Amino acid sequence: MMDFFAANKDMLLFTGAAGVKLLAFLGAVMGFTALMTLAERKVSALMQDRIGPNRASVFGFAFNGLFQPIADAIKMILKEDFVPGRAEKLLFTLAPFFALIPILALFAVIPFGDYVMVFGYRVNLQIADLPLGLFFVLAISGLAIYGVFLGGWASKNNFALLGAMRGAAQMISYEVVLGLTLVGLMMCYGSASLQDMVRAQGRLLFGFIPAWGVVCQPFAFVLFLVAATAENKRTPFDLVEGESEIIGYFLEYSSMRFAAFMFAEFLEIVLISMLLATLFFGGWQVPYLYETGFIFPGGAQLPLNHYLVTAMQAGSFAAKTVFFSWFSLVVRWTLPRFRFDQMMGLCWKALLPLALLNILITGAVMTILGKL
Amino acid sequence: MISVKKVNNRPLNLLERIYLWEIARGISVTTRHFFVNLFFPKNILTVPYPEKTIPLPGNALFRTRHRLKIRSDGSPKCVACFMCQTACPARCIRIEAAEYAENTVEKYPAVFDIDLSRCVMCGMCVEACPEDAIAMDTGELPGGALARPGMKMTKETLLRNIPGTGDPSAKGAANRLADEYSGGLE
Repeated sequence: MMDFFAANKDMLLFTGAAGVKLLAFLGAVMGFTALMTLAERKVSALMQDRIGPNRASVFGFAFNGLFQPIADAIKMILKEDFVPGRAEKLLFTLAPFFALIPILALFAVIPFGDYVMVFGYRVNLQIADLPLGLFFVLAISGLAIYGVFLGGWASKNNFALLGAMRGAAQMISYEVVLGLTLVGLMMCYGSASLQDMVRAQGRLLFGFIPAWGVVCQPFAFVLFLVAATAENKRTPFDLVEGESEIIGYFLEYSSMRFAAFMFAEFLEIVLISMLLATLFFGGWQVPYLYETGFIFPGGAQLPLNHYLVTAMQAGSFAAKTVFFSWFSLVVRWTLPRFRFDQMMGLCWKALLPLALLNILITGAVMTILGKL
Repeated sequence: MISVKKVNNRPLNLLERIYLWEIARGISVTTRHFFVNLFFPKNILTVPYPEKTIPLPGNALFRTRHRLKIRSDGSPKCVACFMCQTACPARCIRIEAAEYAENTVEKYPAVFDIDLSRCVMCGMCVEACPEDAIAMDTGELPGGALARPGMKMTKETLLRNIPGTGDPSAKGAANRLADEYSGGLE
């Protein structure tokens, strides 16, 4: 037995570290997503001069509604799990899984920190450092269409099918823009690995501006923000749902199956926020913070402990994620819904040419600067 | 003559057609509300009912919590005729009649319950009452409760007078004659 441990020490250490990272990161993401369901209601309430849910209490302690997600979950579990008589039973059951699993898989490639030394063993703060992480993100997020379309199709309900068709058309259209937008970034940083891209954003432009994606590719940032919101099926692109008109592809779902769709949507908000932070706002980078501590442009230095630096970097990533999640909620409760033809027109007539133009300009600038 | 209001919709300029600037303006408004309400919750208009109530605005004649009027001698005006119970579309009134010991002509309600969890506040009972004994003018909105027994109003609650207004029930027009007949104080 000891021989086995000794022989496979590296492999076992890697597996153990990966398991711990997986539990910690996914636990944090899941907890945050549960709070997002509360935040959605609280933020909208505050924006509209209301209070929001504040009654769910445990032993009389309500903490202004902090236990609402638990109450919601218990309610969802206790609801009847209804399947329409004419529904395709197998596909109807599978659809929530198809909605949830691709989103969960994508969190594997998000770098939430640089690395941390534990007993002399270097642990990268990313679950899977894929060399083509960006393509992995695009490929797997494309699978999320299956959840939407299977759900709408298997329900055998016209409104659900209408929502699913809208969803499929919308997601496929905006997938194209999303992919083309990221090409500019890949040209800038010369890599498709998310960790490499974050490391490249630690450099300084002109000696004092951090080379964050939003500085190098401001145009791509706006395009990505719009396309990602549409990909996420959030207002103003929530025609798939359209609460006031067609309810959407999960019309016939109830109980935890519906909760799975809902949770997938909120997970997607968190994922998009993390991608925005990673690609355009330096991921875990803090301006002027390096492995050994702060080095300011003037030459002043502030050496810091390795663990403090790592904690600050992870905290920076968390703060950016929280900010963009909040921003997504604010956008949702501010804007009205587009008409379907407006939305498709925006994608194919405005965003797609602009994304191509962005690639062209990026290429031209890089050729002039001699970096290509 | 129907007056027609002409709306002059001017064409959108370039900045408005790009839409992003208008989105930023809209988000600035909602964000301002968010942060003002987050740090100064006093601006929020919501009343945490039923723990806290505010007086109803103005002289609004809302139908509010029921009350049973009382005569000048302190007995309820209600004669337990079951008219309100019959008229109630929500079937939330339950009356049990009893007879006065000294006066076998008239009945009185031994039990008069209104289940507010079923009441639809339609005012049919007030319309139906031949004695003008039930009214919905207390100005109180019935509160929420965590269990059904908490939503039940008994006779004692219904006979409670409105604080600060003396005893308006004694001035009921329909019962003046009855008061005069019985040599009442009015």
